Amino acid sequence: MSKTTSRSRRSGIRRGEAASGWLFTAPVIILLGVFLVVPVLMALWVSFSDWGGRGSPFSSGVNFVGFDNYSAILSGGGLAEQDFGMSLKNNAWYVVLVVPIQTAVALGLAVLVNRAILRGRGFFRTAFYFPSVTSSVAITVLWLFLFSTSGAVNKVLSWFGINGPNWFNDPSGIVHNFLGLFGVKNGPSALTQNSLLGVSWWDWLGGPSVAMSAFVIMAVFTTSGTFMLLFIAALQNLGGDITEAAMMDGANGWQRFWRITLPQLRPTLFTVLTLGLIGCWQVFDVIYTGTKGAPGKTTLTPAYLSYKSSFIDQDWGQGAAIAFILFVVIVVFTIFQRWVLRERGVSKRRMRLYQPSITAADEARTDNADSKGALR
Amino acid sequence: MQRPTHRWLAGGAVAVATALALTACGSGFSGSGSSDGASGKLTSSDKALTVMIGSSGDAETAAVKSAVSDWSKSDGTKASVIAASDLNQQLSQGFAAKKPADVFYLSTDALAGYASNGSLLAYGDQLSNKSDFYPSLVKSFTYDGKFYCAPKDFSTLQLIINTDMWSAAGLTDSDIPKTWDQLQAVVKKLTGAGHVGLGISGEYARIGSFMTQAGGNLMNEDSTKATANSDANVKALDYVKTLLNDGDLKYAKDLGAGWGGEAFGKGLAAMTIEGNWITGALKSDFPNVKYKVAELPEGPAGKGTLQFTNCWGIAADSPNQAAALKLVEKLTSKDDQLAFSKAFGPMPSIKSAADAWKSANPELVPFLSAADYAKGVPTAKGSADVVTDLNSKLESLATGDPKTILDATQKNLEALLK
Amino acid sequence: MTIGPTASQTANTIAVGALANAQPPVSPRRQRSTGVVVASSITYAILVVLAIIYIAPFLIQLATSFKTDADATANPVSLIPETWTTAAYTKLFINSDFPTWFKNSIIVTLFVTAGRVFFNSLAGYALARLHFRGRGVVFASLVAVMSVPVVVLLIPKFLVINQLGIYDSYAGMIIPLLTDAAGVFIMKNFFESIPASVEEQARIDGAGTFRVFWSIVLPMARPALITIIILSFQGSWNELAHFIVSTQDPSLTTLTKGVAGLASGQLSQGSQYPIKLAAAAIMTIPVAVLFFVFQRRIMNSSEGAVKE
Repeated sequence: MSKTTSRSRRSGIRRGEAASGWLFTAPVIILLGVFLVVPVLMALWVSFSDWGGRGSPFSSGVNFVGFDNYSAILSGGGLAEQDFGMSLKNNAWYVVLVVPIQTAVALGLAVLVNRAILRGRGFFRTAFYFPSVTSSVAITVLWLFLFSTSGAVNKVLSWFGINGPNWFNDPSGIVHNFLGLFGVKNGPSALTQNSLLGVSWWDWLGGPSVAMSAFVIMAVFTTSGTFMLLFIAALQNLGGDITEAAMMDGANGWQRFWRITLPQLRPTLFTVLTLGLIGCWQVFDVIYTGTKGAPGKTTLTPAYLSYKSSFIDQDWGQGAAIAFILFVVIVVFTIFQRWVLRERGVSKRRMRLYQPSITAADEARTDNADSKGALR
Repeated sequence: MQRPTHRWLAGGAVAVATALALTACGSGFSGSGSSDGASGKLTSSDKALTVMIGSSGDAETAAVKSAVSDWSKSDGTKASVIAASDLNQQLSQGFAAKKPADVFYLSTDALAGYASNGSLLAYGDQLSNKSDFYPSLVKSFTYDGKFYCAPKDFSTLQLIINTDMWSAAGLTDSDIPKTWDQLQAVVKKLTGAGHVGLGISGEYARIGSFMTQAGGNLMNEDSTKATANSDANVKALDYVKTLLNDGDLKYAKDLGAGWGGEAFGKGLAAMTIEGNWITGALKSDFPNVKYKVAELPEGPAGKGTLQFTNCWGIAADSPNQAAALKLVEKLTSKDDQLAFSKAFGPMPSIKSAADAWKSANPELVPFLSAADYAKGVPTAKGSADVVTDLNSKLESLATGDPKTILDATQKNLEALLK
Repeated sequence: MTIGPTASQTANTIAVGALANAQPPVSPRRQRSTGVVVASSITYAILVVLAIIYIAPFLIQLATSFKTDADATANPVSLIPETWTTAAYTKLFINSDFPTWFKNSIIVTLFVTAGRVFFNSLAGYALARLHFRGRGVVFASLVAVMSVPVVVLLIPKFLVINQLGIYDSYAGMIIPLLTDAAGVFIMKNFFESIPASVEEQARIDGAGTFRVFWSIVLPMARPALITIIILSFQGSWNELAHFIVSTQDPSLTTLTKGVAGLASGQLSQGSQYPIKLAAAAIMTIPVAVLFFVFQRRIMNSSEGAVKE
């Protein structure tokens, strides 16, 4: 928080500060209030109403329908539930793949760039960060070209003898494809007969579709640069002494990285994971520009489904409900991630490993204390 | 953090509530159920008209603009044309803002949604040329017993044949398939190096033509009953599945094309099933491909194909509906429709223009012949979504089970009608 | 950005800000043994390969924009067109509304950037330096607002804009974007790191609060302001969802909305890659230029002290 300033703020030089304070923050409060807070509350009302898309949602013709919209999406048994289940599945796989990969890639790039000599460092940093600067629309257009059936990526793959898939037109799940390599074509009936949110468990476990995978690659490409910068800054802020001490003690590079550097990066890691999670659950721009949910609804995401339900299908209540459920999902994931990464004490097993040296250090200390005491 | 006193939390809540109330009592919230031209009375004013279209390209935009400005000059009411980049979304926003376009393209998919929330004016019965429209088209735009809007044109699906590949395979005019078995034999002959016999977009909007030839369709004529899992439809899907597994029919996506017309134009398929719009696409993108249009073969129940149509919708909130109606009457007149057809392809929706069109387009006559037996796509509210779902299942038709696919579709359609 | 505007803004914020404040690395003293030389060559090699992977897509994009349609489909990887043609660019500038899109993007971005610089620094200063009751609440609500996902706002923002009567106008495009919580955060953090002595001095000399802010504190905030400028420019230039819901008039289309429409093939039938890639390329240029110009200034502050 702010540095302490003189407490005499109501008189003398601090006169009129309160008024200025409110005046200065007024524009921000008004703008954010009107365009952020009010819309959220409005959306909340729409999700509990039957507003059809014509005129104001607060007019007399609009009725309160309780949880109807939510139950249609979560348990209705119809297409709405299926579509929502599908979109959740697609986005969940997207998150599961993108967040760890982009974090690992960003960290890897940061470590590499940090080690390079000065002259090259700026160039590499720029090269890796540049994709993050471009707009998602521009990158999607580029990606549609690169990953088309006869596009650049498949051409490069063919140099290695691999027949590239039809990327953006292939709705088959990559886990299913992988299992298919071993001859597993259909799942066990326990998985195919039972479903969650209208999507069978076999499909839930099918992984992202090939089309979605192309989007996963795009996400890693465009956001690893940003997080790389974060890691570089954090790495540069680490003192070199601990690392030197570890080198003195004989730790090799790998051990140094895992035991010394990584734990110290915990706060940054935390930030990167949180931002990654929040961002990945809101994929909209690229779907709108690119595939709009095709092929086979495997690139449908809750954010895009919310837009489509409202603006195209005129199901405004459902669209708003989807948005709020997504909000809850994001909050839950963030809290879960916080809990997983919380600071924990050193485990008992580790303690026992270090016990001899700690005991020795203790004894040395008490010896010293005794001798000091004896001197008195 | 300083202790946020209860006073301040309360103050914050009051502020938010005030903001809400202010916006609620503000200008636009006079949403008291406004009368929407009830009892056939049309609104009239001297406001300019806006016409919103979802254009297929420069040719269409230019043609519509010219027709509208001609009317504007003769009628004296100003009118402007907007080519929407996302027609559905822009229409939605217009309706929600109560400032919609006055006249706009309306597809069969969108009719039910907008009609049910009161955004449309049901002016069909007030058209002076009402009896001239093809009955099946009128049915496509009748919702809840009311004829909502004037069909502006229509297209049907037929078989497009690459004449060079046709003759290279040793086939002649007498070999044009008239039955399913003949079609199966012909595509086998046409499949060769680098091209497949038949390449189509793998969606209901094409595969459905086979359903109609077997005597079925997803719903009945006025979309009040779901008939998706009928035996006829299963038979049709079985037939398509056989062709797929034989390797003689391939989906456009699997050929690396965006749609059947592109696969055809690029020479990846010797035949395709497409509608009138393919003529314009081939002319501009693939001018060197020589083709012929033939009627699709008869299935177990005879001839059948799908038709696609759009209408000119008029907004219930339009301040100048009277002028809008006059504009629509002109735009659906014989001369205008023939001009549109010449510019970008679809066929006139009125019977009186049929002969003129046939003589102007002798090689495209099969498209118009289908007017006698073509069936429309479902128009129940939410059916577009069900069709999208069906399409995603059809993508794996080669390895899937038609009955299962159609049962799921039947279930979804029945849910709409509850 | 695929990770959503708010999150990516925050990410970029922290990244760029952190870089400006980072300590130069302290490299442990190394003997130049062969082992170390081999290690750094390997590092270099890996970096070069990765850099190629990251830059290649953009080179391909540029090259393809100068190819013909057929060439683009036939030779997707080649960096040299068979026949150099500027047909894509001609079509873009003459036969489409591209210039209008460009103009609209510039107008909106300039206003939004100026607005954000002004309002964010005002609010940030107030939260950092001025004591007024309720400051804590305002700060807490700012944090809360930052965590609301964008998707929730899509529909209702349209409704609010419509109710206020600014739908389908420049006002509707600009006003809602004039400030953002993340920017206020940056400014607040920055102001807190400046010693208060200079301000105190000015106060004692009798200057009013705004005077102190405008003439004394703001000039000292150059690095943070530059950060805000970069992020605001980037954010509003690349914004898509907001323009979808706030406008429908074709004359108000911005680059993002226009190119997104191009991508779905409204302007022409078929997959016309050169023109789409050309549009995407031109769209990227202003942001790229801004990035390159300013990043040197920011990165410089952290590299100056490194001795090699």
